[in-house]
Amino acid sequence: MPTLSPSVRKSASLIYHFAERESKARYKRSLLGWFWSFMNPLTTVLVYGFVFGVVYGAEAPPTSNGNAENFGLYLFTGLIVWSVFTGVVNGSMGWLIGVSDLRKKIYFPTETALLGGAAANAVQTLLEAVVLIAIMLVLANISWTLIFLFLALTFSMLFGLGVGFIVSVFNARYRDTQYLIGILLNVAFFGVPIVYTQKLLDDGGVDGFLRVVLDWNPPALFVEISRDAVYFLEVPQWNRLLAAAAWGIITFAVGWVYFRDQSMAISEEP
Amino acid sequence: MTVGSITVRDVSKKFRLERNRPSSIKEAMLRIGRKSEADDFWVLRDIDLDIPPGSFFGLIGHNGSGKSTLLRLMAGIHRPTSGTIDSEGRLSALLELGSGFHPDLTGRENVYLNGAMLGLSRKQMAASMDSIIDFSGIGDFIDEPVKIYSSGMYVRLGFAVSVNVDPEILLVDEVIAVGDEEFQRRCMSHMNMLRERGTTIVLVSHNTSLMSDLCDRLGWLDHGRLVDVGEPEDVVANYLEAVETGDRNRLTTRD
Repeated sequence: MPTLSPSVRKSASLIYHFAERESKARYKRSLLGWFWSFMNPLTTVLVYGFVFGVVYGAEAPPTSNGNAENFGLYLFTGLIVWSVFTGVVNGSMGWLIGVSDLRKKIYFPTETALLGGAAANAVQTLLEAVVLIAIMLVLANISWTLIFLFLALTFSMLFGLGVGFIVSVFNARYRDTQYLIGILLNVAFFGVPIVYTQKLLDDGGVDGFLRVVLDWNPPALFVEISRDAVYFLEVPQWNRLLAAAAWGIITFAVGWVYFRDQSMAISEEP
Repeated sequence: MTVGSITVRDVSKKFRLERNRPSSIKEAMLRIGRKSEADDFWVLRDIDLDIPPGSFFGLIGHNGSGKSTLLRLMAGIHRPTSGTIDSEGRLSALLELGSGFHPDLTGRENVYLNGAMLGLSRKQMAASMDSIIDFSGIGDFIDEPVKIYSSGMYVRLGFAVSVNVDPEILLVDEVIAVGDEEFQRRCMSHMNMLRERGTTIVLVSHNTSLMSDLCDRLGWLDHGRLVDVGEPEDVVANYLEAVETGDRNRLTTRD
């Protein structure tokens, strides 16, 4: 590719390297390999599906043809988008720490470590998406609106990277940042309609400022778009799409600029 | 700017020395309102230096004079506090033990990683892999994680990579001293070969006789200031004189 500038080519091969290493580290020495990568979302879907769907008797909202009306699937369509975000945010802190010793001895663009890790996560997510789509195909609950799922995943990834760029720099300075982020993400999980439905909020009379936050926070927007795309098979509202795109792109840009500015200091951390 | 040149303009570098620096958010919170105990430490002050392409430049100075920091700034690892450093061309740096090696990766994987950091493709690195393994004398250990390597093996592999990636600028800190006599000799001959090919080399060492043998020009750093640049013999003579005067002073004050 002669048109690429040397620095872009260099970054690209470093991103590839870090992505490869992340994937290998995850599945090396495990006989079942990729199988384990499905266990985490699968158990979450099964456990939450059982607790909320069976024990609490939560009802999944009706789908277009009624075939896919299942609380587990309702969860899965939300969870897949949410875990892109949390995977990148949590991962970014470890990815940066993982290369910080190296960065003290040799110069390379540090953001490639985060982009590489994110790329490995993206591959994993695509495999989950294939499983989700396969299930929906079997249930004949599928439509061209499917493309919005990939849009939701992309926005979620961009937003996660933007946040990840910032928190990973904090974590390089204050190592307990990762615990704080872990706690915050646990709380934030319930700010996103993954285990509950909009109907539940309506019935509970949740309104005012809290409702605005619950409806318009970025992960909630991504999750709703994904739901529309593969569960309800509707075209997402354009203003929600726009808001989701803005959150993803602006957060990524801000995080990127911050990281580029701060990451030089990483080589001077003790 | 021509390939292989390094330009250092008014470069100063400050490190913050923070005592009891908070390492967690919790600690930082508990310390809100208290004055932070930080000292600024100037490692380098107002350095101006031009290293022309194809030259063999040596940096001497006592421990802590800022030689290694200047080399790191040239390598792009740190950012100068003020001033600018520009280097043109593929830059390979051998700065300290295990420079640029990830402990968990094998020697071979690290060679590829290093290549990627220098902007070389896997294919290009594969092409020079044999000569790297050969030069380093690592043998079958190339497929073992580098964390089990001895310090000598680290340096040998590091040097082998640095000189086999066809650098236009090569920065070498005092590391080669770790290798045995035979390896050191091989390093020297290889550096000479690179010099003949037109590579710009910057070498840091305490070994004044070695430096006057190898280098075209020397720079002498003292407490972060570049006090002398010029012909190796002159700079070494000035440096040694200063060291001796310092010794004498120290002896007399002790009496």
